[in-house]
Amino acid sequence: MGFLDPRNLIWGLSIAVLVIIYLRSHARPLIEVSSLMLFDEQPAPAASVRRVQFDPLFWLEVAALAALTLAIAGFFVRIPEAPAHGRSRALVFDLGAAMGATDGGVSRLDHAKYEALDMISSAAPGDQFSVISYALEAQLVQAPTSDEKELRAAIAGLRPFAVAARPVALRAALMRARAAAEIDLFSDRPPPQPAVANLASAGRFDFHRISGSDANLAIVSLDPGAPGSAWARVSVRNFSEHPATCDVAVDVSGTEVMRRTLVLAPREQATDRFPRLGPLATGGLVRARILNADALAADNTRYALAPASDRVSAIVFSPDPAVRDDLARTLLAVNPNFRIETIDPAKYKADASHASNPYALAIFHDSFVPNVPAQASLLIYPPVGTAASALAPDLKVEATAPAAELRDASGSAATAMPMGETRVLKLGEWMEPTASAVLSGHGRAPAVAFGQSAHGSVGVIAFDIGDHMLLDPDHLNALVATIDLVKRLVAPSDMQIVPTGKYVTIPAASPARVTAPDGAVRSLAPDKWGRITLRPLEAGDYTVAVGGTTTQILANYYDATESDLAATDSAASSSSAERGVAATSVPRENQLQPLVLMLAALALIALVAESALLARHAARWGVRHV
Amino acid sequence: MLETRAFEPDYLRKLDRLVLGIKRARSVRTGERRLGRVQGLGLEVENFKEYAEGDDLRFLDWNALARLDHPLIRTFRSERQIEITALVDASASMGMPERDDKLGLGLALAASIAYIGMADNDPVRLGAFSMRRGAMRFETTPFHRRRESYVNFRPFVSSVSAGGETRLGVAIDQFLLQHRPAGVVVVISDFLVAEGDTDDALKRLTSAHHEVKVVHVLGEMESTGAYPPGLYRIRDAESGETREAVLGPEYAAHCRAKVERIASIVRAICDRLGIAYAQAFGARTLDDFMERELPLLGVVR
Repeated sequence: MGFLDPRNLIWGLSIAVLVIIYLRSHARPLIEVSSLMLFDEQPAPAASVRRVQFDPLFWLEVAALAALTLAIAGFFVRIPEAPAHGRSRALVFDLGAAMGATDGGVSRLDHAKYEALDMISSAAPGDQFSVISYALEAQLVQAPTSDEKELRAAIAGLRPFAVAARPVALRAALMRARAAAEIDLFSDRPPPQPAVANLASAGRFDFHRISGSDANLAIVSLDPGAPGSAWARVSVRNFSEHPATCDVAVDVSGTEVMRRTLVLAPREQATDRFPRLGPLATGGLVRARILNADALAADNTRYALAPASDRVSAIVFSPDPAVRDDLARTLLAVNPNFRIETIDPAKYKADASHASNPYALAIFHDSFVPNVPAQASLLIYPPVGTAASALAPDLKVEATAPAAELRDASGSAATAMPMGETRVLKLGEWMEPTASAVLSGHGRAPAVAFGQSAHGSVGVIAFDIGDHMLLDPDHLNALVATIDLVKRLVAPSDMQIVPTGKYVTIPAASPARVTAPDGAVRSLAPDKWGRITLRPLEAGDYTVAVGGTTTQILANYYDATESDLAATDSAASSSSAERGVAATSVPRENQLQPLVLMLAALALIALVAESALLARHAARWGVRHV
Repeated sequence: MLETRAFEPDYLRKLDRLVLGIKRARSVRTGERRLGRVQGLGLEVENFKEYAEGDDLRFLDWNALARLDHPLIRTFRSERQIEITALVDASASMGMPERDDKLGLGLALAASIAYIGMADNDPVRLGAFSMRRGAMRFETTPFHRRRESYVNFRPFVSSVSAGGETRLGVAIDQFLLQHRPAGVVVVISDFLVAEGDTDDALKRLTSAHHEVKVVHVLGEMESTGAYPPGLYRIRDAESGETREAVLGPEYAAHCRAKVERIASIVRAICDRLGIAYAQAFGARTLDDFMERELPLLGVVR
């Protein structure tokens, strides 16, 4: 029992007023007389103690006022929720990478499925269930239904992704589940309290905590270095609370260059160089693997691309010799095997020898030279009105802003960096902006973009890199953005290495056949710009076949929070060795049942009864009206 | 307020032809200096007497002194006059029950008697007494002799309010301490006091050679016990004492009997002391009082 608004109990004073009125009306009146001598012979009343007489009118009025006061104060009772037929329940599954952690061949998600299926089996006839999953985004897997067969199929189809479950996705999933009378969340880690506070207080939220083994080793990073000049490095981490041995193997283009056993202390991270004798001799695809069996396999393999050791040519156009020098230095930092030509665009003359052997990369700073044979092009601070439509359709350079703030892909102002003059770009939809800038007088506009068209890879940088900006430590973000873009431009066109969950675009003139790491095959149709977009959610090797061309997408997964399986157990019960489902559910409160209507009805009944009594008295006294 | 009735012209016309009957001789010998007496103010020479120390030299007969060489004092036959004092009980009991307006009735009666007393140009005054906060509050007006000055009583009549205890004996003591010549004293009260107090007070008045007349005033409601029936808490207006009582027809009978008993006691005291006694029970009885009760006080037409 309780009150929704206890302050309104102040209206209960009306009962006190009624009692005072009643007592005054029934009090013996006091009269003042000239002398008690005249009352000497008058006996006192037999009973000196008065009793409160039963006055039905009084008690009816008290009942009416009490009922109205309780109704205004929001009197409620808590009643246990009665099992009802046709109740709707939402089953929300965490499909983050940690839910794929296995123990004895059974994953955490499998345990969650078992429990959910038990709930469905034991549900009352007519109960409806919906299935919602979340990882990067929330997804309604199964609309509310009471068909057990459909539900079992939907639950059986759930698979963990090699991505970290985002809190915002959990919120979205709970939003989708709000219509359900009861929400059951299956996850290996407790949800953020703000996300479920309202649901738990309403008594309609159950959290089923799934626990399991915490023995997980992960490859944190893989740096191929520079063949012939910089060491390659691999970092591994033990997330377990126990020491562990870690067998690491690295191969380059299929040739094993390292196999080593590391002993890692609990929660230790170690970095090792390879190969033993120095930097890699040749470039190619570098793959690092952890050979030990652990709970989570998604973070046991990682790919990197070592720059080719073959000489590749690049040409840099810029009217500013300092910029040409800075760009050449930057390119050599990305790949020491670059053979770089720098030239003032006004002095450029086409060389017929490059027609059959095009440049790997052509960079145009504050200039554009048409018909330069190159596999990839980078436009930096392109002049206003650049006629680059053949190279980059729909790319327009509209104006120049005197100043700008460079922001990363998230657009956060916290990481904003002031820049100098910046072009105002308008991109074609086939281009993907990777960084933006807030331009003075022009608002937000793309600052860095990448795209692939039929003419090859094209990158655009809107800000000016003059005045040695790329070498300025205060403009490190500009250097990083430039290097990342150069790496993407010079990467092999038939191979991309991306983190899981990131969108990948591939030029495709016809439908593509995509083969996932688990062998699943699906077909994707190209969009109007002649490309397909793929989002790898599993770690491993995706193969995209378009016509006779095959592109390899290598997806890496690592997330420090998601891979830390021990962290999920630290907040759980003390039985860290507990296996299977460790269901920790939020205790469900009884339902609040406001009694406003009932109390109002009681007050009305009391008033009607009082009216009836008054009418009866009026008839007895011969009064025609009350 | 009933006391205003005493100043209404039509009411005063009814009183015009009435004369207060007084038993005592009105004459005193002028020229005698007696403590507590007022010399006569008449002009008719009655006799001569030998001068004695202390006699007023204004009345020395200088012709006889020159002729006989012996001081003689002329004595005069005084005019008829007697001081009339109407004392009204202004205690709290006279204000209850309010509906009865006993105090108003008492003041109206006192003013009426004063008006009648003025018919013979006798000096008349009004007084009121009550015990307030342990001290006797005894207030009187100056003497007035002619009816033209009757209206001078009005401010006093209007200012008297009920309050305090009765204490009739203390009030009479205050009156006697003024050492006025023996005259007529009209005591108007409800006499709701102890029997001994009434007897003692009236006895002292008569002992001082005053001609005493008593008007017993009671309200209609209290004399008949005509309260609405029911259970009541009743409080004494003077003492503040309370008690519970059941009022109704039975009480009314008891009340009437009690009033009759109190009246008979006061009447018996008056008879024994030779005091004229009259009853004025109920404010409505003011006009009846003049016709039926005034003769009992010696008022004649």
